[in-house]
Amino acid sequence: MKHREGVPDIDYLYPGHLACPGCGAAIAMKFALKALGPKTMVVLPASCWGIIAGAYPQTGLKVPVMHTAFATAGAAASGLRAALDIKGDTETTVLAWAGDGGTFDIGFQSLSGAAERGEDFIYACYDNEAYMNTGVQRSSSTPYGMRTATTPGTSWKRTRKKNIVEALAAHRIPYAATASIAYPEDMIRKFVRARSVKGGVRFIHILASCPAGWRIPSESAVKVTRLAVLSNLFPLYEVKDGLHYTLNMEGNRPVRPYIRMQGRFSHLTEEEIERIQEMVDSDWALLKEKANCKQISIK
Amino acid sequence: MIRILEGNHAVSEAVRLARVQVISAYPITPQTHIVETLSEYCADGKMNARFLCVESEHSAMGAAIAAAMGGARTFTATSSHGLAYMHELLHWSTGARLPIVMAEVNRAMGPGWNIWTDQTDSLSQRDTGWIQLYCEDGQEVLDTTVSAFRLAETVNLPVMIVLDAFYLSHTFEPVDVPEQGSVDRFLPPFSPRFAMDTENPANFGELVPPGLYMEMRRNIQLAMESVPGCFSAIEEEFFFQFGRRYGPVECWMCDDAEVIMVVSGTITGTCRQVVGDLRGRGEKAGLMKIKMFRPFPAREIRNAFNPNQKLAVVDRNFSFGAGGIFAQELKAVLYQAPDRPRVFEYIAGLGGRDVTPKTLETIYRMTKEQDTPKMESVWIDLNVVDEGI
Amino acid sequence: MYEQAMSKIPLLISRSKISTEGHKTGEWRFVTPSFKEKTAPCRATCPVGEDIPRIGMIASRGLIKEAWETIMAENPFPCVCGHVCFHPCETACNRAFLDESVAVHHLERMIGEAGISEGFSASVLKTPSNGKRVAVVGSGPSGLSAAYFLSMLGFSCDLFESKDQPGGILRWGIPAYRLPEWVLQNEILRVEHMGVRIHCNTRITPERIGEIMDNYSALFMGYGHGRSVTMGIPGEEMAADGLDFLLEIRRGNLPAMDGIAAVIGGGNAAIDVSRSLIRLGAKPLIIYRRSLADMPAFSKEVNAALDEGVQIMETAVPVRIEEEDGNLMLRLQKMRAIGKDPEGRSRVVPDDSAPINLCVQHVFTAIGAQSDGILNPKEEGNDRAIPLSHSMFTLSKIPVIYGGDLTNAKRSVSDAIASGKQAAMAIDTYFHHGFDAIRERLNVSRVGDRDPLSMAIYLETDRASRSPKVISYSDINTDYFSNTPRHIPQTIPMLRGELSFMVKEPVFSLKEGVGEASRCFHCGICNDCDNCRIFCPDISVSCVENGRRINLDYCKGCGICVAECPSGVMELEEEQP
Repeated sequence: MKHREGVPDIDYLYPGHLACPGCGAAIAMKFALKALGPKTMVVLPASCWGIIAGAYPQTGLKVPVMHTAFATAGAAASGLRAALDIKGDTETTVLAWAGDGGTFDIGFQSLSGAAERGEDFIYACYDNEAYMNTGVQRSSSTPYGMRTATTPGTSWKRTRKKNIVEALAAHRIPYAATASIAYPEDMIRKFVRARSVKGGVRFIHILASCPAGWRIPSESAVKVTRLAVLSNLFPLYEVKDGLHYTLNMEGNRPVRPYIRMQGRFSHLTEEEIERIQEMVDSDWALLKEKANCKQISIK
Repeated sequence: MIRILEGNHAVSEAVRLARVQVISAYPITPQTHIVETLSEYCADGKMNARFLCVESEHSAMGAAIAAAMGGARTFTATSSHGLAYMHELLHWSTGARLPIVMAEVNRAMGPGWNIWTDQTDSLSQRDTGWIQLYCEDGQEVLDTTVSAFRLAETVNLPVMIVLDAFYLSHTFEPVDVPEQGSVDRFLPPFSPRFAMDTENPANFGELVPPGLYMEMRRNIQLAMESVPGCFSAIEEEFFFQFGRRYGPVECWMCDDAEVIMVVSGTITGTCRQVVGDLRGRGEKAGLMKIKMFRPFPAREIRNAFNPNQKLAVVDRNFSFGAGGIFAQELKAVLYQAPDRPRVFEYIAGLGGRDVTPKTLETIYRMTKEQDTPKMESVWIDLNVVDEGI
Repeated sequence: MYEQAMSKIPLLISRSKISTEGHKTGEWRFVTPSFKEKTAPCRATCPVGEDIPRIGMIASRGLIKEAWETIMAENPFPCVCGHVCFHPCETACNRAFLDESVAVHHLERMIGEAGISEGFSASVLKTPSNGKRVAVVGSGPSGLSAAYFLSMLGFSCDLFESKDQPGGILRWGIPAYRLPEWVLQNEILRVEHMGVRIHCNTRITPERIGEIMDNYSALFMGYGHGRSVTMGIPGEEMAADGLDFLLEIRRGNLPAMDGIAAVIGGGNAAIDVSRSLIRLGAKPLIIYRRSLADMPAFSKEVNAALDEGVQIMETAVPVRIEEEDGNLMLRLQKMRAIGKDPEGRSRVVPDDSAPINLCVQHVFTAIGAQSDGILNPKEEGNDRAIPLSHSMFTLSKIPVIYGGDLTNAKRSVSDAIASGKQAAMAIDTYFHHGFDAIRERLNVSRVGDRDPLSMAIYLETDRASRSPKVISYSDINTDYFSNTPRHIPQTIPMLRGELSFMVKEPVFSLKEGVGEASRCFHCGICNDCDNCRIFCPDISVSCVENGRRINLDYCKGCGICVAECPSGVMELEEEQP
């Protein structure tokens, strides 16, 4: 039996966890832990994963997990790292694992503080673009055009998604990257890289679809995140030291199929999709400029 | 070795001697001197600890919780708004049963901004499950802080050492700072009953269904109920090592007293002088110092009084719509006693206003002269103000 | 005292160490995925039922020997077919909807040539002897295949050939520029290595049949159509027989020729004769009764002939040949179409024009061939007969099976191979399960409910459990395939006068072949890409031998494994209440 190169065989999730069918966040964790292995401790603020990880007395993960308050992922990871350091354990990787609410919104201060202090841990944000665990309320990660429980009806969200990687890159952290659950090798490589890099917080921003919140059939959960990449709406790239950009691939598809396959955007007119296309195009052009990208390096 | 230390530095010395491993803190007046000193100790190697200069009190406690989860002896310090900002995480640290020790310098809550002493900040946290120990002077601060680690690690509950802003935090007094060796004998290295461990993975703090949540809450209370006994046992050892002890409550000249002044914090020192003076004048005055507010030492308090005595509770705090908080707690534990003394309630010294011997003697007189306590707390020394300004 | 105190303090916290495996999330499911390999359209169209997607998958990993063995399970002549098959697989290929079909034909030739040059042996496919002997008459592709598959199934075979060398149409009917001698030689040798005894110069006359029936358990008749059909026109004796001409060339008699050579016919033989003529210096002119589009010859061959300079005259029929001044005067009647015949070809009748006279130097006929007629199944009147798609099973004293061109509607090499295979299966079934089981056993050995038969399915080998559902383009997850042009082995630019009897089309290099095989969608078969297991959010897919297992205790039925399967292997069904 041939296994895929670049995708380690061992899983650190147990079956029976509490994720919804087709949960992108579960896939994201699966890949992250495949990359990081058993010497990992997970810091888990309130989020879908707070539920997915199981209910007492069961655990959905084969590595130690500490749940923590919503706003504290960055601080808690700092504290855990400090305890491990002082006890002489430099081998274990601390992984803060937060949703977009816990990263873009309530946890942003804590993350920013840790990033500025140069704490030694990996911070992964699995981004499903709204507060899904509480029933799809908008976050500052919610994209333009999305309808949520708090941007309902004709009041769909008209502001842009916060560019979290840029915000983190501005902290000049040693490594920031985006990843999509549709590209396992790429995501795993980035986590392996993040584990080896030292000298500060390593930030990985993962697009992790939520079938219920995005209003897509569960089987499309992976495909939709692939289309996001292929349309440059969620580009895969890496930023070293906040300055050096590497684009991992360039998409060539329009955003329309991505938008149209999701119920959360079903109200958008063709003109509004065109507006999204323009935003994506200008963001992509800006990113390419930052990468000073004469050639795209595909890894 | 006797050193002249301000109250804040007594905390710092104790933390150093306790060989704390992780300190996370955020500056706030009047606590700042504690962590400034500790950061120096970490920087110059007097302590082998990681010092995290976090970006908020919320993160300070968040980091402390995680460090304790990682199995490190952990300390932080705060005051007033900082403590309020931590509120969520105070609950968390108790629920997680983490032996974190925190110095809390009592300061008034704004607005209006007020940096002076007032117990309302710490007493607002009474339901978070933190053990609260109030201190009278610098020596007690140091001794209590050292003992706090023993206590926290014994019962797996967090401990708050409470000291008054400025009157104690910034006041220099002679303090006997023990040798490291003797502290080491009293306080062994932290040996956690649980911690994050990749060799023995577990999921901490996760979802607990209604069928078990209540049992876990009850379990915290069971631990709380063991605290007065454990504290006394630990103090016994401390006394053997260092010759000092304080007790959850202290009664002074209470046996034959007609009026017993019930106090906490630095007011205690003033009150000792007032009661001494009154005794010198033939007055049957007594003093009760409440050191341990949480758990509230009900048994010790019930046994301390006889039904004919009057208690004059001096509260440097206030619960709006109710009254002085120590008085409420005291009345509550006395209510179930078959015979109980009368409780007179006084509010004094809020926002750092001076509580002078004269103030306390006024309270003594008012209590002595009345047979029945008023329904409401009596606010002492209120100024007349023009609300039209 | 300290430790004592510690031990007494209650400590009940939310600390969990038991895995969630106790929580059977499979109960949430209302649709159930399953791993079910299906049938690729190429395979369902391949007359011999070659497992083309699997060959593609294996070859894409550079495992040429394994790819070769996979072909050999269904077809004893990879290299022959790699040269001469008309590859309907490429027409059926789903990849054509994305960019271009996979060059299966070139791939097969590369693998076939590797099989010869590396000396791969097919004897691993042999099952132990069953002690039964089968006589095979005719060593063309059907007879050789029948003998090969019968040997594979444990029969002992004697193959009788009237000519001095085996191969039949492969040797005598196909010019060397299409099928080199060494290819044929080596692939026939490999059949012999399977244990088949070939007796050349042994003509089986009707009189010898009785002798065979006494000494053998079964008889396969695959002696084909050795005799040319005649036109029945005046002067026909002045025309040369195209098949004889091709045979002479294969014997090494390559006369220099010149002048115009008229070739009557529109099948592959007419093309082969014409292309051979042009190589010998003549100017061939094909005369065909219908239009170019109706020609039964493979269009690739017709195009090659036109490229080489062969001329074609459509809708004309010779009515007379006369000698005139040492030349031949060919009188032709032009025809016109009046509708279609049942096979979809134009029905033609003479038009009103006067006959045309054409002065040529040679006339060759290539209008078809017929059987020499040892035994004719249709004349037997035996009601113990089963007409099958590519053969006729009859039962007299022993089973006698007719195959190859004697029975095939389509007279291609691949169909002849299919015929031999079908006969071998029918004989094997007869001896193991009896006469009445033949139709059913053959029926279940079909590929994708179509005509092709698979020996692997017949033998119920590992991949036999595939669903007959034929994968369509919409079943493919094309996200996993990017536009990649078809690899074409570089053809040497053709110059007039450089035509020879050498094969001019080069073969794939290994790199090209592996690259081309990687373009294959592997329709309906698992290529171990592992997507189903990698993407499963519920850790419910595991690797097992021959595929993947879904743990229904935990599978929540999200369907990601189905959506992310590139090749349509996984499927989703509603949970039965």
